[in-house]
Amino acid sequence: MTVYDFYLFDRNGNCLYYAEWNRRKQPGISKDEEFKLMYGMIFSIKSFINRISPKDVQDGFLNFRTSKYKLHFYETPSGLKLVMNTDLNVGNVRDVLQHVFSSLYVEHVVKNPLTELGETITSELFRSKMDEYVRGLPFFAPKAS
Amino acid sequence: MSRQAARTGDPRKVNGELFTLTYGALVAQLMKDYENDDEVNKQLEKMGYNIGVRIIEDFLARANSGRCNDFRDVADVISKVAFKMYLGITPVVSNWSPAGDEFSLLLENNPLTDFVELPEGHDSLNYSNILCGVLKGALEMIQMDVDVKFVQDHLKGDNITEVRLKFIKRLEDAVPVGED
Amino acid sequence: MAIYSVYIINKAGGLIYQHDHNASRPEVEKTFSYPLELVLKIFDDKIVVAFGERDGIKVGHSVLAVNGVASEGRFLKDGRDILETLAMEENYPISIKFGRPKLTTNEKIMLASMFHSLFAIGCQLSPEPRSSGIEMLETDTFKLHCDQTMTGIKFVVITDPRQMAVDGLLKKLYEVYSDFALKNPFYSLDMPIRCELFDENLKIAIEQAERMGSAGV
Repeated sequence: MTVYDFYLFDRNGNCLYYAEWNRRKQPGISKDEEFKLMYGMIFSIKSFINRISPKDVQDGFLNFRTSKYKLHFYETPSGLKLVMNTDLNVGNVRDVLQHVFSSLYVEHVVKNPLTELGETITSELFRSKMDEYVRGLPFFAPKAS
Repeated sequence: MSRQAARTGDPRKVNGELFTLTYGALVAQLMKDYENDDEVNKQLEKMGYNIGVRIIEDFLARANSGRCNDFRDVADVISKVAFKMYLGITPVVSNWSPAGDEFSLLLENNPLTDFVELPEGHDSLNYSNILCGVLKGALEMIQMDVDVKFVQDHLKGDNITEVRLKFIKRLEDAVPVGED
Repeated sequence: MAIYSVYIINKAGGLIYQHDHNASRPEVEKTFSYPLELVLKIFDDKIVVAFGERDGIKVGHSVLAVNGVASEGRFLKDGRDILETLAMEENYPISIKFGRPKLTTNEKIMLASMFHSLFAIGCQLSPEPRSSGIEMLETDTFKLHCDQTMTGIKFVVITDPRQMAVDGLLKKLYEVYSDFALKNPFYSLDMPIRCELFDENLKIAIEQAERMGSAGV
């Protein structure tokens, strides 16, 4: 089991933070374009789900899987979007994403008065806390290289 | 997760009076700098707005409440959860408009105004106007455009402090660049 | 347990078959007095609740009928503009029926091509080499399963989140498709499927899968 990468988008679609761990394939476009594509995909999936759902949608999109990876999604009511790609054996990571929001993002980014909200997170503290947290997850086991 | 446990045992409580005094000093300084009550109101609202857009994330992280889809739920959460959490008071929700898009928060004792007596000639100053900004900023972050203003203020001789919230519209999610 | 609907999408993203199996959508009718306590907006040429929930009416529901007259887009069948009608005090008390609207054929075609591109993007953004597109998409209200054949036809099944044994159904659908559409000499490739035998056998397959999926729980 492993974690590939993690994206954090604000509600305007800016990618505030990106980190990767065991990612083995790049899409072959610039990071900027990749973020736009990812946000666009999430946005369209949400709208797709809203329309096609036979019942009233509450949380909406949770995750999707392909033959190789699983994409997990969590959105706060304030429109912050957290995306984590893992391999297929990882179960529900909603708690993990919620923790990233409430204990890492809120504590180290929102409460830091000097960070401009809506801009790329440059805080080293956030980066290292995030890295430490993800590496400590029970399903984070880098493949022997 | 582990956060809740850390919260309850938080020893870094700020003295309430220090908070009230800090806010008082801030307003007093603004009044000196701007010499115009309307301008001070505006500045206070701006500061509040900046607090609101951040505090909402902290609120969501701590309160763990879902999305409100009705203005009545919003009123409830603001008074019973948010005011309780940050100011230690529970304002009364009342004076609903018939269409259910407007209500008032009645503050019996406003912690911001302890020790405050407004000097003469400042009838248009809304001393606690920062609250309006906070509410507006916070609600805007959860896709609600709301108009917030003081309609009665204890400091001006009214019986009660009343903040009026009016729902204007629902804001939509941002569409990715290049699409429309 | 339930299987809600089936979509078949050709390799160009065109919808060639769609079947709603178990699509009971919630509907609520209520009499309102003036003024209306719900905020409505126009979305996709429909009148939709934007804010405010009461008595089972939810955000996202659209106006299906006013005083028993069915709605058609932004207007009622008798030609009145819905928003204008609801804005006039003399029309109250008024009875409005809300619910999740049924998808129109056009919307279904649009959703199919939308999924077709999402499928491709999901593949492009893969962090691992040689990934397929979206095979299973999970939400709190339904699961979407997709099977893409070697020839690029996508079978999409939308089910209850707890429905089991959907993989079997997808395989079965492929068989039904090859038996009753492809082998029919009057069926032209990549075109909408209009064959009675196909319809019948598809329904049998779905009902079977529903029974199988429920038995396992």
